[in-house]
Amino acid sequence: MRHHLVLRVIAKLLIPLILLFALYVQFHGDFGPGGGFQAGVIFGSAFILYGLIFGANTARRVATPEVVRVLAACGVLLYAGVGVVAILRGGNYLQYRVLAATATGGEHLGIFLIEFGVGLTVAMIMIGLFYCFTGYRPSDHNNGTHPHDA
Amino acid sequence: MYIAGIAAVLVTMALTLARAFMGPTVYDRILAVNSFGTKTVLIIALYGYFTGRPDFLDIALVYALINFIGTIAVLKFFEYGDLGRDRPSQPDDI
Repeated sequence: MRHHLVLRVIAKLLIPLILLFALYVQFHGDFGPGGGFQAGVIFGSAFILYGLIFGANTARRVATPEVVRVLAACGVLLYAGVGVVAILRGGNYLQYRVLAATATGGEHLGIFLIEFGVGLTVAMIMIGLFYCFTGYRPSDHNNGTHPHDA
Repeated sequence: MYIAGIAAVLVTMALTLARAFMGPTVYDRILAVNSFGTKTVLIIALYGYFTGRPDFLDIALVYALINFIGTIAVLKFFEYGDLGRDRPSQPDDI
C-alpha cells in the first residue's frame, strides 16, 4: 500500500478523529449512547485502519504485541480490582457506593473505572485479533495468486 | 415527513441489497455493500430525529467510520490477498 496517496492522506486525517471520538464515547457514555465496549472497538479500529494502510508490521512497531497482551490483562485487572477494593472498604463485590465519601461520588468513580477497564481490554483484544489475522499468509499455500473475481 | 424519508431509504436499501446479491463481479458487490452502509447511516439519523432522540447521530458517525474501515479492509484483501501487507512486491505495482 505504498503508493495509495489518497488513502494515506485520508487515514492520517481520520485516525486522530477516530481516537478522539473513541474517548468521547468512553467518557460521555453516562449521558449518551456509548460505553466501554463501544469505545474500545472504535479505539481499536483506529489502529486497525493504521495497520491496513501502512502495513501490519508498522502497526506492530507502534503497539507491540507484548504491550497489547499486557494492557489487555491490565483492563481485566482494573475491573476486578475495583470490585476487590469495594470489598476491602466494607461493601459487596463491585458495590460502587462505598468507593468514595458520598454514594453518588462512589458510583461515578466506580462506573468510570469499570468502563475504562472494559474499554482498554476490548481495544487491545481488537488490535490483537487484527494481528492474528494479518499473521496468516495465504501466499504460503497458493503461490501468491489473488482472488480477483468471485 | 420522516416516515416518507425512512420509507424511501428502505426502498433504496432493498435495491442495493439486490445488487449485492446479483452483482456479476466482486466490485459490484463491494460497491453495493458500501452504499448499503451509507444508507444505514442515513436511516439511523432519520430514525433518531423521528423518535426525537438526536443522540442517534453518534451511532450514525460510528457506523460511517466502521463502514469506511471495513470497505478498505475488503478491498485490500481482494487486491492483495493479505491484510497486513505494506509494500508491493512486484516492481510494476508502483
